[in-house]
Amino acid sequence: MTTVQQIINALLLGGLLALVALGFSLVWGIMNVINLAHGTFIMLGAYTAYWMFSLWGVDPFLSIPVAMLLLFVLGAILQVSVINFIVRAPVLATLLVTFGLEILITNIALKLWTADVRSVQTHYAGRGIALGSLSIPYNKLGALVLALIITALLWLFLERTKLGRAIRATAYDQVGARAVGINIGRMYALTFGIGAALAGAAGALISTTSAITPMMGSSYTIRAFAICVLGGLGSVTGALVGGLLFGFIEVFGVVWIGPGYSDAIVFLVLVLVLIMRPQGILGRAFSAGVQEAGGA
Amino acid sequence: MKRLNWMIVIGMIAVMVALAAACKSSKPQPASTGTAAPATSAATSPAASFAGTVTIGASIGLTGSLAKEGKLTLDGYKFWEQWVNSHGGLKVGDKRYKVDIKYYDDQSDANQSARLMEKLITQDNVKLLLGPYGTPATLQDAVIAERYKIPMVEGNGAAEAIFNKGYKYTFGVLSPAKKYLQGVLEIAQTEKSPAAKTVAIISDNDAFSIEVADGAKAFAEANGLQVVSYEKIPQNTTDVSALITQLKGKNPDILLGSGHFNTSVLLMKTVKDLNLNAKIYGFSVGPSIPDFQKSLGSAADDVFGGTQWTADLKFQDSLFGTAKQYAAEFQKAFGYEPDYHVAESTAACEALQLAIEKAGSLDTTKIRDTLAGLDAMTFYGQIKFDSRGLNIYKPMAVEQWQKGEKVTVWPESAATTKAVYPTPPWSQR
Repeated sequence: MTTVQQIINALLLGGLLALVALGFSLVWGIMNVINLAHGTFIMLGAYTAYWMFSLWGVDPFLSIPVAMLLLFVLGAILQVSVINFIVRAPVLATLLVTFGLEILITNIALKLWTADVRSVQTHYAGRGIALGSLSIPYNKLGALVLALIITALLWLFLERTKLGRAIRATAYDQVGARAVGINIGRMYALTFGIGAALAGAAGALISTTSAITPMMGSSYTIRAFAICVLGGLGSVTGALVGGLLFGFIEVFGVVWIGPGYSDAIVFLVLVLVLIMRPQGILGRAFSAGVQEAGGA
Repeated sequence: MKRLNWMIVIGMIAVMVALAAACKSSKPQPASTGTAAPATSAATSPAASFAGTVTIGASIGLTGSLAKEGKLTLDGYKFWEQWVNSHGGLKVGDKRYKVDIKYYDDQSDANQSARLMEKLITQDNVKLLLGPYGTPATLQDAVIAERYKIPMVEGNGAAEAIFNKGYKYTFGVLSPAKKYLQGVLEIAQTEKSPAAKTVAIISDNDAFSIEVADGAKAFAEANGLQVVSYEKIPQNTTDVSALITQLKGKNPDILLGSGHFNTSVLLMKTVKDLNLNAKIYGFSVGPSIPDFQKSLGSAADDVFGGTQWTADLKFQDSLFGTAKQYAAEFQKAFGYEPDYHVAESTAACEALQLAIEKAGSLDTTKIRDTLAGLDAMTFYGQIKFDSRGLNIYKPMAVEQWQKGEKVTVWPESAATTKAVYPTPPWSQR
């Protein structure tokens, strides 16, 4: 029974982490920008849900669209005003700029909302489905389901819509994309906006399970990074597989070896993947990396 | 290529601007609190009667991960500063001095804290220091205090690691880390129906938390309790469901968490989510902070927390009066109830004040020697240092959340009500 519970734990954790990594993976894959400020977008999403809940009593699951919209606008503005200068620039420049953004946004949040630990207390917090000795908390289950739905929607958007195809075309071949009339700048703004919106959704979901502070973002950025490398860069399924894998490694690392080593185990697996299969488990479905190799 | 380089330059500039803005927004200028402090006591006594100003330095994390505790520390210091200045100042011999706490924001970075301490000593010519928040920064700052032979009194670094290095200039007014959870275990031993026999301990993986957990483990084993699990979890853990699932199989009577605020909240949430039922939940850090209840709602009920100080304790001194009076005055000035972080910070200031007044001198060596021999009762409890500079003489208290209210339940002399035991299972709450 314990093992079944642990598998449930791993799925609940992994599904949410997949969404955490999805926007990060998209931005990295399409724009070749390793966005170290990704975690702060998650933090902002969590605060959006928190404020909507505490001011107007809006359920955090219902504030997901609001968080996504706000973060989309913020992401698009940041892309046009700052990130646009470092698209396809050497990795150091992108790291510097996004790290700067991370510090800036975190500190603005600290100024605005102080370091107080916030939490969303829904009436169903701590309740769940009980099957014998198994427990599935409602909020985590809801987060998993919504994370999967949003992931599926993004996949459909990228694969099945004209705009999605234009975004992917931009990643494959800038010149070719421009030649067929795609506005590259707009695609980048759109991509970064979507990346931020996905982080916002993840943040709103996380608000139902975790404490909210201005500093909560960085630990998610690190996880997003690891998941992208594990699953393979820039693809929706890569993020999903990476996220689930991460969840299973973390949970069963605790079960078999002990909680003290859970980070170490995850990053050990990460190193092994880098050695044996540098492109990640699913490889790159699309990426700017191919073209960028000659350019930088 | 040209265009690319140009972009990088702009990118770099953008970073610098961003960083500069971040620094500006986060780092208050080294403010003497006289101007920055809230105007609480409009009727402060005339400054003209002071013979001079005694400046005391501190570096505290006002931004970054420890900003919350940093603010509590600073407010504890500021309250003392305002109180002393409006009550006749610091008495040195037959002269009276105004006190001024000069502080910098160390951004919750222990190394930065040490650099700022050095700056306070070498550039601002500060001759007395107050501690930062937390064990890591205190460990670093103690080195600086020792190097420049400047006495530092601290109230927020409880790990014995700070005091086991033979330093002569660092004094801690708070009880050592290993005592944090002893009170909870003492309560467990007085309860017999049904008796608690097994203990599971979960600790954050840092010097302070591990000392707390080791202390609890040693105390439990010495008192006939069986420690069925003792696990350390990495910092910034966001999910402990796997660990709690494993613990459920061991069915501990007592679950002790030795970690920081976020960990304590996360553990309680997960314990409830996964329906783990213990008779006692006890934490070193968390329950004493009102946000604990706000974060957990009714799940905070019946949870125990070790605490350095509560306003219910029966201590008093001539400066503030009783613990209750101190709490009331602080609330008047700062608008919130002081928790133990605030009280221990004020107590650090008070210890320094007592030593200066007893020494009758501003000579740092004399102040240090007087500190070493200090034995005084304060609103915070007895302040007396062992040969390492650690206050092992003050007892810890235990608080419990009962129906949304935080009450003192241990020691018995300060208890306002009886502890709820055993904690009812989640299914009956």
